[in-house]
Amino acid sequence: MGAAGSKLEKALGDQFPEGERYFGLENFGNTCYCNSVLQALYFCAPFREQLLEYYGNGKNTGDAEENLLTCLADLFTQISSQKKKTGVIAPKRFVQRLKKQNELFRSYMHQDAHEFLNFLLNELVDILEKEAQAVKSDPETSPPEKIANGPKHALANGVSKEPLVTWVHKNFQGILTNETRCLQCETVTARDETFFDLSLDIEQNSSITSCLKNFSSTETLNAEDKFFCDKCCSLQEAQKRMKIKKPPHILVIHLKRFKYIEQLGRYKKLSYRVVFPLELKLSNTVEDADIEYSLFAVVVHVGTGPNHGHYVSLVKSHNHWLFFDDENVEMIDESAVQTFFGSPQEYSSNTDHGYILFYESIGASNNKS
Amino acid sequence: MINPSNGMISTSSTSANTQSPGLKTYFKTPEGRYKLHYEKTHPSGLLHYAHGKTVTQVTLANIKDKPAPSTLTAPPSGFSAGSGVRSAAARLLGTSNGSRGLSFAGGNGGSKSISSSSGGSSGNGSSSSSSSSSGSSRIGSLGTSSSSNSMINSNFDGKGTYLIFNVGDAIFISDLNSQDKEDPIKSIHFSNTSPVCHAFDQDAKDGHDLLIGLSSGDVYSVSLRQQLQDVGKKLVGAHHYNKDGSVNSSRCMSIAWVPGGDGAFVVAHADGNLYVYEKSKDGAGDSSFPVIKDHTHFSVSHARHSKSNPIARWHICQGSINGIAFSNEGAYLATVGRDGYLRVFDYSKEQLLCGGKSYYGALLCCAWSKDAKYILTGGEDDLVQVWSMEDRKVVAWGEGHNSWVSGVAFDSYWSPPNSEGTGENVVYRFGSVGQDTQLLLWDLEMDEIVVPLRRCPPGGSPTFSTGSQSSHWDSVIPVGTLQPAPSMCDVPKLSPVVAHRVHMEPLSGLVFTQESVITVCREGHVKIWMRPGASESQPSNSETISSTSLKEKPLLSSKIGSSTYKQ
Repeated sequence: MGAAGSKLEKALGDQFPEGERYFGLENFGNTCYCNSVLQALYFCAPFREQLLEYYGNGKNTGDAEENLLTCLADLFTQISSQKKKTGVIAPKRFVQRLKKQNELFRSYMHQDAHEFLNFLLNELVDILEKEAQAVKSDPETSPPEKIANGPKHALANGVSKEPLVTWVHKNFQGILTNETRCLQCETVTARDETFFDLSLDIEQNSSITSCLKNFSSTETLNAEDKFFCDKCCSLQEAQKRMKIKKPPHILVIHLKRFKYIEQLGRYKKLSYRVVFPLELKLSNTVEDADIEYSLFAVVVHVGTGPNHGHYVSLVKSHNHWLFFDDENVEMIDESAVQTFFGSPQEYSSNTDHGYILFYESIGASNNKS
Repeated sequence: MINPSNGMISTSSTSANTQSPGLKTYFKTPEGRYKLHYEKTHPSGLLHYAHGKTVTQVTLANIKDKPAPSTLTAPPSGFSAGSGVRSAAARLLGTSNGSRGLSFAGGNGGSKSISSSSGGSSGNGSSSSSSSSSGSSRIGSLGTSSSSNSMINSNFDGKGTYLIFNVGDAIFISDLNSQDKEDPIKSIHFSNTSPVCHAFDQDAKDGHDLLIGLSSGDVYSVSLRQQLQDVGKKLVGAHHYNKDGSVNSSRCMSIAWVPGGDGAFVVAHADGNLYVYEKSKDGAGDSSFPVIKDHTHFSVSHARHSKSNPIARWHICQGSINGIAFSNEGAYLATVGRDGYLRVFDYSKEQLLCGGKSYYGALLCCAWSKDAKYILTGGEDDLVQVWSMEDRKVVAWGEGHNSWVSGVAFDSYWSPPNSEGTGENVVYRFGSVGQDTQLLLWDLEMDEIVVPLRRCPPGGSPTFSTGSQSSHWDSVIPVGTLQPAPSMCDVPKLSPVVAHRVHMEPLSGLVFTQESVITVCREGHVKIWMRPGASESQPSNSETISSTSLKEKPLLSSKIGSSTYKQ
């Protein structure tokens, strides 16, 4: 382990970024789903920054009740404050807390990295919202509200959630518009929903661009699946499409590689080759925003099936690409990213497939600090 | 599908599509059906070795009949008459054609005598290469050439059209027209490195007509004829450049002969540098170049030593140069790269003229129209981009691929069905292949706006000399300006005429010949699709050549519009 660390330091030489730490995470028995996502989040610069800032603020108030948020902040602080530049850390408290919080992750079974990410982000938001409510009487110390700038996105109708925008929202939340056009009366009903990530259906030998296009393609609701039109007051045929109304600052794309096959009665892993560019623009937006994103992390599923295998992550930090495999951290060439696209044919021996992609918007962005 | 007797997959013309169960063996276009004629591939044992390491490129090479001293030989049958020589790797499409291919007196096919490995002995060619045809410098740089002359490859009859393609650590050479010979007829293996790109010059003056760029950065020039005459599995009579990556150790990405460059060629590397070599030079001198101070800017350095080879280094961009292409006469050089920029240079002036960024992501390939008015690019935004040299901007985006666009080419043999003499509409036909396994064909139809004919002096640097046309954009966009990525709504969109899934694997390139479209996938399977009307067994020369000459007309009476695009 130590040797591996020094190897990385050697590889980077005097290019080792000032103040940066590259630490592997110990595996506590099938916790690679957790480790791979944690690394991706750690190297999500605005998220890490704001988490550490929050942690700093939290310490001052002396509020010490342990939750997933404090455990995560603890872990990130622990990594960033290491004296050594490389090494291994055991995310023990975090994993214990996670298992305590959610029985899903309690077993030693292989877990889904996307489910974990989803659970974690929602949990963090819940904690922040609760805290915000607790201090509502004293608006001055409400951290989430304070950071908010830019336009507020009141969620249209629908579920009455408080329009509280925490820093987790500010990083990850985007808004989708679900437009349904009744084919009888031509009325367009638009319903907004928020998302932390986009789950995309994938096709063999396609690109993320193409998957995003399919995600937003028009779908006709008919037969069994008619739409209840409020104006016609009846079930009608309709056309539906999903567009991105507000693109998130951090765009997380989940490739639906685990598909339930009815004939088999179980999930199957799709090893399809889905190429993802290092830079991406969303074209399925409501306004032609042309916001450019840059890839900074990939969670990779290794293995042939959904119930076993391994997770690793690729992370871009200060223009270097790093490969995190639990305890091990290695430097890789940018061109190595394309070895994780998937297999153009089913029989391939290559089982390392990009599963969750993390893009950060670059350039003109309203919430870049 | 595997013939175990010799480990080779034999080409079979009758049972086409052996590699691709479930794929259609034809596709329809407005002008008729393209039919899968046959497939070429490589020994199967290489498949897994090759996986992911290198991507197959294909180069078409026409070896002319040995020049008969005084008489014009009848055109050799089939493809060789008109298909000319095109390198898919270098995307130099649409240069040579029927007319040039038929001028047998002028060209020469390289080394006449089998026993000599010294390349050009034909008087016609070597006379004009002033600095000694220097056969000695390239003898036996791989050490095997001396022993190779004892046996003669019975598969090679001295002429013909060949497909050169790389798979894994080997180069394969296949007879384009062969259906019965053992095929590929030749394989050349490289140890510890892999061939990545290649280029062929049918008018090479001293026999060295084939260039090979390797993943180690090394470059070879050889005589294709000589390789075919030899039965070994190593290069023979090769000239070795950038030996062991001594000048640049990053991967060769794309390689091209300079058209009319008298044996000059350029090699683009993965670190954003391009080197200019002269094949007649032995490269004895010091060939170091100054340290690049600013990696973000274009700069050219010339070798300090007059004897050194490479003679110049062009630092083009940060990150890899993914593709290069010369315009027909060699006036312009286009490059595309990891940074997403297309750059167009005045080659002789070593000056950046114009360029622009992709919608997003890297650009992977580029190709010129025959008249040097348009450049196609393809890249990681799934778009086929049409760049106009006149407007110095992107004039159209082709939408239709579901993945990255890995190969683009103009079809210079195609002529619009109703182009009879009028020349009212200039329509360009082009093709693209992608990692979505599809071949797409497109028509780019220009508007009826008539602009004065602007003559391009051959070999010169035609653009900015005179004419009111050039002044209008010179005042708007200064020379050397790179355009930012256009907005989605600002660029007119094209839709393909045809989309056809041609392979099981992601594609890596395409080549148009007079009779066919050749597609190749990353894993090294090549398919030859016959054009409508082209007879499968006996391609007719007269018919296709006359159609090529028809093609010249609309290109000369050029008109460029900007607004309407054929859907």
